[in-house]
Amino acid sequence: MLKDWLGHHHGHHDSAVHRLPATGKLVGALMMIVGTVLAPWEWRAWFIGMVVLLLMVMVLSQIAIWFVIRRLLLLSPFVLGVIVVNALHAPGHGNWLALAARSGLCLFTVVLLANTTPFGKILGALRSARVPALLVTTLALMHRYLFVLLDESERMRRARASRTFQRQRRVRWRVLGTLVGQLFVRASERAERIYSAMCARGWK
Amino acid sequence: MSGSIQVEGLRYRYHDGTEALCGVNFTIAPGECVGLLGPNGSGKSTLLLHLNGILPEKITGDGSIRIAGQAITAANLESVRRQVGLLFQDPDDQLFCQTVEEDVAFGPQQLGLTGKVLEARVERSLAMVGLVGYGHRATHHLSHGEKRRVCLAGVLACEPTILVLDEPTSDLDPRGRREFKTLLQGIPATKLIATHDLEWVVELCSRVIVLDGGVVVADGPTVEILNDEHLMLAHGLERPHSLRHHHPH
Amino acid sequence: MHIPDGFLDGKTAATAAAISVVGVGFALRQVRRELPPRRVPLLGLAAAFLFAAQMVNFPVAGGTSGHLMGGVLVAALLGPSAAIVVLTAVVIVQCFLFADGGVSALGANLLNMGILGAGGGYLVYRLVSSRMRGLRGQVTGVAFGGWVSTVLAAIGCAGELAWSHTVAWSAGFPMMASVHMIIGLGEGLIGALAFAAIARTRPEIVAERTPASGGTLPGGILRYGLLVALVLAVFVAPFACPWPDGLESVAAKLGFDVQGASAIVHAPAPDYRLPGIHSAAGATALAGALGTLVVLGLALALGRVLVRKSVKDLSKESKQEPPC
Repeated sequence: MLKDWLGHHHGHHDSAVHRLPATGKLVGALMMIVGTVLAPWEWRAWFIGMVVLLLMVMVLSQIAIWFVIRRLLLLSPFVLGVIVVNALHAPGHGNWLALAARSGLCLFTVVLLANTTPFGKILGALRSARVPALLVTTLALMHRYLFVLLDESERMRRARASRTFQRQRRVRWRVLGTLVGQLFVRASERAERIYSAMCARGWK
Repeated sequence: MSGSIQVEGLRYRYHDGTEALCGVNFTIAPGECVGLLGPNGSGKSTLLLHLNGILPEKITGDGSIRIAGQAITAANLESVRRQVGLLFQDPDDQLFCQTVEEDVAFGPQQLGLTGKVLEARVERSLAMVGLVGYGHRATHHLSHGEKRRVCLAGVLACEPTILVLDEPTSDLDPRGRREFKTLLQGIPATKLIATHDLEWVVELCSRVIVLDGGVVVADGPTVEILNDEHLMLAHGLERPHSLRHHHPH
Repeated sequence: MHIPDGFLDGKTAATAAAISVVGVGFALRQVRRELPPRRVPLLGLAAAFLFAAQMVNFPVAGGTSGHLMGGVLVAALLGPSAAIVVLTAVVIVQCFLFADGGVSALGANLLNMGILGAGGGYLVYRLVSSRMRGLRGQVTGVAFGGWVSTVLAAIGCAGELAWSHTVAWSAGFPMMASVHMIIGLGEGLIGALAFAAIARTRPEIVAERTPASGGTLPGGILRYGLLVALVLAVFVAPFACPWPDGLESVAAKLGFDVQGASAIVHAPAPDYRLPGIHSAAGATALAGALGTLVVLGLALALGRVLVRKSVKDLSKESKQEPPC
C-alpha cells in the first residue's frame, strides 16, 4: 500500500502536466493552497472554481480518479476527529464543511503535484529557491533510501515473526525496540558506506 | 606504468580490532585481470578500500601502496581516485542520486566536467554498460542487475585505468553474471576483483591472489592455484567444479 | 498529529512558519558547525530510518502517520540540531509525497514535532541523563524525554488549533493531551528499548553523545530552550494562563483582529475564559503534574530494568582480540 504512493504515476505517464517545469508547478500549487486556506468560506465561487481546476489538471495528467478518491478518503484519526468534533458541537454552522473542503482541496492539489513531478525535480526547484544545501541533500538521501530501509525493516520484521511463537505483550514491545535499534545501526553503517562511495568518486 | 598497482607490507587495524591486514604484498601489471579470493573476514574489502585512498582514514604517506608508481598521499588523493575506480559490494551504497544520469554524472562533475561534455560522457558510459536511454529512470526503481550496471557506468565515467570490484556477482542471476562478465572483458583497464564466485574467476581472471588472516597466502595463475585442493580447503575455499574435469596444461 | 491545510488560519500558520524558519535555520547552522563531513549522509539516512521505524510499529494503510516517533531517540544519538534537521526533512517529505500534513501548516507541524517534540524532549533527556550518570541515565532520559516530547507536541498542536478558532482550547487541550499522554508511553518505551539495543550492539555510536560529566550546557541548548519557551508562550500560554483577558490581550498586543472568525466549537462552559473555570484548571494542572511524576517513575524503573550493568562492563564486552 505504501509503495503505491511512493511508486507514483509519473513513472508510467507522460502528459502535458508532467512536462511542465517543476518550479512553475510548485509555485502554482503553493498559490492555490494559500488561496484556499485564506479565502473566506463565503466566497463559494473560489472553492467551486478550485474543484473544476483540479479536476481539469487531473484529467490532463491522466491520473485515475479512483487513485485520488482513495487518497482523499484516507484520513488520519486526528483529522477525522477534528472534523467530527466540529460537526457535533456546532450543527448547522457548516464549519465542519469548510474544514473538510479546504483540507480536501489542498490534499488534492498536493497529490496531483506529487504524481506529476519527480521528486528530484522538486529538489531542483528547492535548490534554485536557495534552500540550504544541507537540507536538500538530506531530503534527497532520505527519498533515495526510504525504499531501501523499508525493505530492510520488512525483512527484519518477517524474520522475527517467523521465530516468534508466543503472543505476549511484553515480548512484542521488546522485539519492536530491538528491531528499531537494529534498523538505526544498519542505517548508520550504510551512511558510512555511502560517504566512502561519495569520496571514492571524488567528492570533497 | 599507468594502470599498475604495487602493495608492500600493508598493515591496517580497525578501532575495535577487526579485519586487520598484517603485511600484504603483491604487484599487478597494467591490463592484468586478477581475482582476489579468501574466506569471509580475510580482509579483502579492507584491502580494496585502501587502493582508492578511502582507508586508512588518515593517510600518513607510508608509501606502501603505489598506483602507477606513485605512492598514495593526502596530496594526490584526487589523482588516485581518478585512476582507480572502485565498485562497492552493495550497489545501493554507491547509487545515491535520484536518477541514473545524475548518478553517472556525479564522478565527472567532481572532476570538473559540465554542459555538453558532461552529457556526452554520461551517454557514452551508459552505452558501455548497455543501458542506453536509462538516463531518466529513478534509481530506486531499478532491478539489482541494472543497479550494478549503473554503478559500473558511474565508475567508468571517470575513465579510470584501474578497476577494483568488490563481490560484483553476489545477488546476480546467471544471466546477469554472464552479461557482467562480457562487460568486464570488454573494458581494457587493469582489474582486481574480490569475489567468492570461483567459477566466474576461472572464466575471467588469468591470475588469483588468495588472502587469509590479513596476509597473502597464494599468488599465481588461476588454474594452478584453484586446482590445489589442499590449499583451497585450508583457506575456506574449494576447488571449482569446472576444474575437476579439467587438466591444467 | 500532522495538521492539514485549512485547519489553521492565516495568522497562526504565518506565525508558526516564521518561528520554524528561525528555529530550523539555527539548527542547520549548528549542524554545519558541529557535524563532521563523513556524518552528512547520516542525516538523510536517519530521516529514512525514522520513517521506516514508524512503519514497522504502526503499518497504517496508505502511509498516513498517526504520530511521528523517534525525535528524542535521534536527538540522543545525533544531537538536537541534527535531530531537528532530520525531522524537518521527514515532515517535508510526508507533506509533499504523502499529503500527510498541510503545506501551509508545515511551520506548525515543524514546531510541534521538531522544536517542541525533539527539542523539548531533548532538553528533558539532557536534564535526566546529566543527573544520572552512565547508560542508565541515558536510557531513562530517552524514555522520559520521549513521553514529554509527545505530550508537548500535542499541547502545541492544541494551542495552534485554538488560536485558529478551529477547536477551542477547553475541548482540544484535554483531548489532545490525554490521548498523547497514552501514545507517549509507547514512544518512550520503544525509544528506550531501541537506545539500549544500540548501546549493546554498537556502544561507540552511543558513547559519542554521552553528556560530559558536570560542566555547563552548550550554547545551542540554551537557544533551543528559549525557542521551546517562545513557542509555548505564543501558542499555549494565552490559553493556559489564568489571565482575565487571555487571548484577546495577546492578540491586541500583536495587532491581530480576533473578531474575524467566530468560535467554531462552543466549549461546554458558557464562558471559555479560564478564570470562569479556574478550579477546573487547577484540577487539570494537578492531574497533569501527577501523571508526569508517574511516568518519570516508570522511566526510572525502565532504566533500571534495561541497564543492569554499568557502562564499563558493556564497553569491555565489545572489545575483540585483533588477529595480529
